[in-house]
Amino acid sequence: MAEEELVFWFEELGREDNDVVGKKCANLGQMTRMGLAVPPGFAISIGMYERFIRETGTDEEMKIYVRGLGDLKGSGISVFDDMSRTLRSLIEGKEMPPSIMESIAAFYSELCRKTGIEDVAVSVRSAGTESRPGMFETYLNVRGIEDVLEKVKKVWASAYTARAVAFRVNKGFGVLGDELGVAIPKMVNARASGITFTVDPVTADDSKILLEANWGLGEGVVSGAESVDGFVVDKESLEIVGRHVGNKVKCVVYTKDGADWADVPAHMQGMACISDEEIVEIAGVAKSAEKSLGGPQDMEWAIDQDLAFPGSLFWLQTRPAKVAAKKKVSASSHIADLIARKFGRG
Amino acid sequence: MGQDMMKLWDSIPGFDFNPEIDLPELNSWFFDGTHSVPLLTPMYAWHWIRHCGHGSQYSAEVLSMPRYKGFTFRDHEGATYIGMRIVRDEAEIAERTEKFKEALIPWIEDFDGIWAKNRQELLSMYDKLKAVDLDKASNIDLLHHLWDMISAHRRMWEIHFLGMNVSYAAFLLLEDLVKPYGLTSESPEFQNMFRGFDNYVFKVDKKLWELGKDAVSMGLEDIIMDNPVEKVIGKLEESNAGKEWLKKLHNFLDVDGWRMVRMMDFDEPYWLEDPSVVIPPIKAFVKKGGDYDLDGMTKKLAQGREKAIADLLAKVPKDEKPWFEALIMLGGKTGSYSEEHDLFCELHCHAVQRRGFLGIGRRLAAAGTIDKPDDIWFLNPDEVERVLGAPEFHKLQYIANRRRKRWEEIRFSQVPPVHTTRANIQEAVGMDLLPSADAIIIKIVVGELPRVRPELKADIYGVCGSPGEAEGPARVIMTYGELDQVQKGDILVCPGTNPAWTPVFGLVKAVVSDRGGTLSHTAIVGREYGLPTLVNTFTGTSTIKTGQRIKVNATEGTLYILDK
Repeated sequence: MAEEELVFWFEELGREDNDVVGKKCANLGQMTRMGLAVPPGFAISIGMYERFIRETGTDEEMKIYVRGLGDLKGSGISVFDDMSRTLRSLIEGKEMPPSIMESIAAFYSELCRKTGIEDVAVSVRSAGTESRPGMFETYLNVRGIEDVLEKVKKVWASAYTARAVAFRVNKGFGVLGDELGVAIPKMVNARASGITFTVDPVTADDSKILLEANWGLGEGVVSGAESVDGFVVDKESLEIVGRHVGNKVKCVVYTKDGADWADVPAHMQGMACISDEEIVEIAGVAKSAEKSLGGPQDMEWAIDQDLAFPGSLFWLQTRPAKVAAKKKVSASSHIADLIARKFGRG
Repeated sequence: MGQDMMKLWDSIPGFDFNPEIDLPELNSWFFDGTHSVPLLTPMYAWHWIRHCGHGSQYSAEVLSMPRYKGFTFRDHEGATYIGMRIVRDEAEIAERTEKFKEALIPWIEDFDGIWAKNRQELLSMYDKLKAVDLDKASNIDLLHHLWDMISAHRRMWEIHFLGMNVSYAAFLLLEDLVKPYGLTSESPEFQNMFRGFDNYVFKVDKKLWELGKDAVSMGLEDIIMDNPVEKVIGKLEESNAGKEWLKKLHNFLDVDGWRMVRMMDFDEPYWLEDPSVVIPPIKAFVKKGGDYDLDGMTKKLAQGREKAIADLLAKVPKDEKPWFEALIMLGGKTGSYSEEHDLFCELHCHAVQRRGFLGIGRRLAAAGTIDKPDDIWFLNPDEVERVLGAPEFHKLQYIANRRRKRWEEIRFSQVPPVHTTRANIQEAVGMDLLPSADAIIIKIVVGELPRVRPELKADIYGVCGSPGEAEGPARVIMTYGELDQVQKGDILVCPGTNPAWTPVFGLVKAVVSDRGGTLSHTAIVGREYGLPTLVNTFTGTSTIKTGQRIKVNATEGTLYILDK
């Protein structure tokens, strides 16, 4: 009997595969389908995780452990820390069954062959069926099949970080849950990375496209901790109508076995990290993505230093932009408060 | 046996007003003069007493209204009395307040979107009911239809109250917040902020006006103006031009004819059923003459609104502006929702039900169970259910005829404005009405009480629904059927109005109503037409006689009878 397919190339996937491979993988597939330049890579389905815990007996062990826990309502963080340690080590401590190992390894070596790089550097990213930003782990700059397999297990186990367990318990979902898919794209050897909004998330102005960018990997922009470059592009004419070059003292770069913050060399701190040509290209692609997805987008991209423009631009994520949520909610809840105060107590 | 047995059926089991039980429970029961004048038929009262009360309770629960669990109705021979279920426990109020806040947010952010969805739900419910072929349906099919209509009516009231409670709550809050800027709900600067919204009611009026204009240009003016209303259509059918005009009328009614003449009862026809009922408003438009520039009028009012809002916002501290403006927008829904929901809720639903009940009435009359189809209004659904499976075995004349006789005797009689254990109506209002903070009851159904100012020596005091002064001959109109008596330049004196009455607002100089508050239909439409409007006079129709010259000063809340 043919074995069920549990690993897929991104280009085999689309939005409809959300429940099979998790949101991030399905998105990367959808982006590939739309013709966006996505780093090559593959996705490990949630079914594979299920097979892993079944074949290693981990599912039974976790169930037995949870049954012994009793009522968790109102538990302190130390309880969740303990649970997290136990559950994660149950997963991470298992040997990967050979058949699972082989099917992942087959895709990884094919990726190495396709890119022409031995032990090609990839990122190993969690992909839940629902978006839970910052809840699960992602590993950057992973090289070689052994490391990849190790990090896949760690991503699976990250469904049991203390914060994830506490979240589920407090929401009444139960301790066990959030089975994860895993996205494994080739690392972009990023000179600069950034995010692009096709609508102003604060003022809801949709006539402009906004870019934020920093040297190095995207994590140096997304975290919002450091001063970055900002650009405004007119959506209609694709002219650059605003620019702010930030004082970029830190950025995220590769280390030997991952990625970390590093100092930006002095002469590069006050220099725009992307060229006008790149800005216009990014804005143009974002504009057409917005059109084909039918709504404003919040997108992540990176520029590979080893490749020539425009082949150097890669798209890592796109999702519907959340607009003016902060401003709108505060006016609405203020009104709700006032009405409630008038008609009730408070 | 006779008398005692019959008592069991009268007339809305479980909801008949019983002072011994009801007064100790809720202390005060307020007469709903806005909706139960003339007094209601038993069939309508059965639906209204249950489902309108249920709608209020449903909405209070879903929104978790802090001090209020909705009202409950009691019926006394077609007169509706309202009892307010006021939450008085402070801990419970605090708990409900928290949930209330959350429940409000979606409405604040997307009132129009939620209303559009609910409106769609209603329309698809009505479509299913209209699809039933009443004359081919079996008795059992009709019984199912009866139950389906009851469910639809109940759901209609649930939807009705959600939108009302939210928009009116915002309106009441605004009233408080504008006080520091020297405004009250009766001041023009305040009322101007809520005028000139796009409103389907006015679009229908515009179509009626166009029909009137067509009639004039097709040379049909004399036929329409000189014949009694019920003869007009017959006369029109005699000429080609008349036939052509009637075709236009029918095209209009196919779209907009699911609309009752009387909003809160089943006993008068809907437009599509009896096209002659739209003759009076068309006559009113022809009498008025001139243009009906709806777009121009709305635009002008909208400009006035923008200015009123800008003037107020200019005085509001800068950091308060964003939410203040959003609140004004939400409060503005009171006007448009208040008018528009009537079309999609009561007027349409009741038309669909009237159609269904007349179908059932025909079946019962054919079987000899009642004498004529419209005797059905003097039964209640329990009684209909008892016989409908095989009506030929049963007689209901002993109930229907007795009730019809009684209703015809008393339908215009005056009833006490309140039954209460409190010392007087002011105390009843203060203790058993205002603490509910239910804007609907306070502002529409019962209304604010007029302020009597002896130094002004007025004959009648009322509440300002729309500011201004006017002097002219009074025209006392009790029902829609009398509306074609209204002449240009009259001052309309009436118990209250509903959307079917709007065309005469273009004809008169001022409006005076017995009941209704600053958010009643009369006040809202009076503002849209810029007419001096005095509401909640209580005694307007009983004191003033048609033809007397009267002077209305709505701004100060007074009315003078000049030739007594």
